[in-house]
Amino acid sequence: MSFLEVFQYTRQDSVIHKLDPRAKLFMSIVLAVVALMFLAIIPLLIIFCCLVPIIGAAKSLRRWSRSMRGLSILLIFIIIFNTLLSTQPNPFSHSLALTLRLVALMTSFSVFFLTVHPDELSQALIQMRVRFEFAFAMSMAMRYVPTLGQEAYAIMDAQKARGVELDKGNLLKRIRNIVPIIVPLIIVSIRRALSIAESMESRGFGANATRTYMNVLKFRKRDWAVVTVSLLVLVFVVYVRIFVPLPTWMLWQLPI
Amino acid sequence: MPLIEFADFSFKYLGADSLALRKVDLNIEEGEYVVLTGPSGCGKTTLCRAINGLVPQFHRGYIAGNVIVDGKNTREHNVAELAPIAGLVFQQPENQLVTLNVEREIAFGPENLGVERKEIRRRVEELIDMLDLEHLREKHPHEMSGGEQQRVAMAATLALKPKVLVADEPTSNLDPQSAVTILDLIADLNRRDMTVVLVEHRLDLVSKDASRVVLMDKGSIVADGEPREVLSMDLCQEIGVGIPKATQIYKRLKQRGFNLDKVPLTGAELATLVQEVKQR
Repeated sequence: MSFLEVFQYTRQDSVIHKLDPRAKLFMSIVLAVVALMFLAIIPLLIIFCCLVPIIGAAKSLRRWSRSMRGLSILLIFIIIFNTLLSTQPNPFSHSLALTLRLVALMTSFSVFFLTVHPDELSQALIQMRVRFEFAFAMSMAMRYVPTLGQEAYAIMDAQKARGVELDKGNLLKRIRNIVPIIVPLIIVSIRRALSIAESMESRGFGANATRTYMNVLKFRKRDWAVVTVSLLVLVFVVYVRIFVPLPTWMLWQLPI
Repeated sequence: MPLIEFADFSFKYLGADSLALRKVDLNIEEGEYVVLTGPSGCGKTTLCRAINGLVPQFHRGYIAGNVIVDGKNTREHNVAELAPIAGLVFQQPENQLVTLNVEREIAFGPENLGVERKEIRRRVEELIDMLDLEHLREKHPHEMSGGEQQRVAMAATLALKPKVLVADEPTSNLDPQSAVTILDLIADLNRRDMTVVLVEHRLDLVSKDASRVVLMDKGSIVADGEPREVLSMDLCQEIGVGIPKATQIYKRLKQRGFNLDKVPLTGAELATLVQEVKQR
C-alpha cells in the first residue's frame, strides 16, 4: 500500500507547507477539476507538468515518485485492460489519457494531504463553520489509529500464545480467525473510549459555547494570491473548454 | 472552610452490588499533600472522581451525602465547572492525550474553558518550561514513552490552573525511574502551594513528602493522619498496604523490644535513628 504514502502528511519546511490549508484545498480542487475536464494526452501532460513543480516546491518529489512507482502496477493494469476492452477508435491512446488523468487527480489531492497537518485540517474545517465536535472527532481518529494498531498486535500475540492459529487454513478459516481478534479489540476500545471521555470531561470538553483556539488560521497575501491564481485558471479553463474548440495538435492521439 | 469536604458521602455505581463509597467523611485543607492508599477496589478511584464531579455527573449511580469542593456542591455543578478547581490525572497516560502534539494537548483544557488566546499561549509556554517538555513540543503522543506521556498529561491538567491536583495512580503504568520523576514533580508542586491528593501504592517513594495519609478499605476510610502515625499501625498489614521498608524494620525492631525514638519513613532516616541509638 506504499502508494497511499502520498496522502500522508510529512513534516517539511516549504512554501507549500506554509500556505493556509483553505487556500491549498481550493488549489487542489481547481487542479482536480481542470484534470477532469480533459481527456486528451497533450492537455493532461500540460497539467501534469504544472503539478510536478508544485510537488517539488513542497519538497516531496522523492516521496511522490516512490508512491507513483508503487502505483505503477495498478496503472499498467488499467492501461492493458482499457486497451483490450475499450470501444474507442484509438484504445491505447484513450487508456493512456485515462491513466494520466488518474495520476493527475491523485497528485493534485496529494498536494493537499501531503502538506496539511491533521491539526491544521481540523482547524481549517472549524473555521469553515464545521462544528468543533466533528472536526475534533476526525483529529482524534488520527490520534488513536497507531494506538489501536498496537493493541491489535498485542491481542494477536496473546491469542497466538493460547494456540489460536491465525495464519493457517483456507480462506474461510482465516476469515473466521479474525473473530478472536476483533471481539477483544472492540471491547478494549470501548473501555478505552470511556476512559478517554472521562479525561476529556475533566478538562472541560464541551463546557463553553464560546470555545477559544490557541492557533487561529489567517489568510495572508500569499494565500489570497494562490486563491486568485487558482480562480483565474479555473475561469480560463472553463471558458476555453466551453467556447473555444481545442486546436488539433492538442487532440493528437497515438495511432493505436 | 476546607477546600474539599466530604460530608457523609456514599455512592453506589449503577448496576453494582455493593457501595463503592460508604459514609465517607473527609476534609482536605488548602496546601495539604494527602496520600490515599488501600487495597484494589477499596474506592480510591471513586473518591478521586467524586472530587471533580465525575461522580455523580459522569458515572451515574445512587448517592447519599454531599461533596463540597471550594464551596460548590458536586451534585449541582457539572464537571466542566469543577475542572478549574480540581484537576485530575489518571492512570493510563495514553488515554489522556487526545490531540496530535504536546502544545495542543496543553492548550486543550483552557481552550475548552474559553480562555483568551494570549493567556493560553502564556500557560503553554510556562508549563513546557516548568515540566521540561521542550524536546517533545511537536511530538505525536505515540512517539513518547509512558513517563513522558504522563508528564504531558500532568501539564495538560495543570493548564487549567486547578486549586487541587488529584492524581489517581499516575505511576502505575510507568517504570520506576519515570515514576520517581513524576512523584518528585508532584512533591515540587505541593511545595509551590498546590494542594495534592495522590493515590499511590509505592509508599516508599511518597510518604516522606506527604503531610497526611488516608487509608481506605471496602469503601470507607479506616485511618487518617500523619504518615508516621498511620503507617506504623498494625492495621496496614492487616488490610495489605505495602508500608515503607524502613517503617517495617522499625516495627520488627519494636517487636523485639528495640525502640527507636521516632517512626522512620526512609532508609536515610532509619540509618540516623539507628546510629543515635547505638551512640547512646
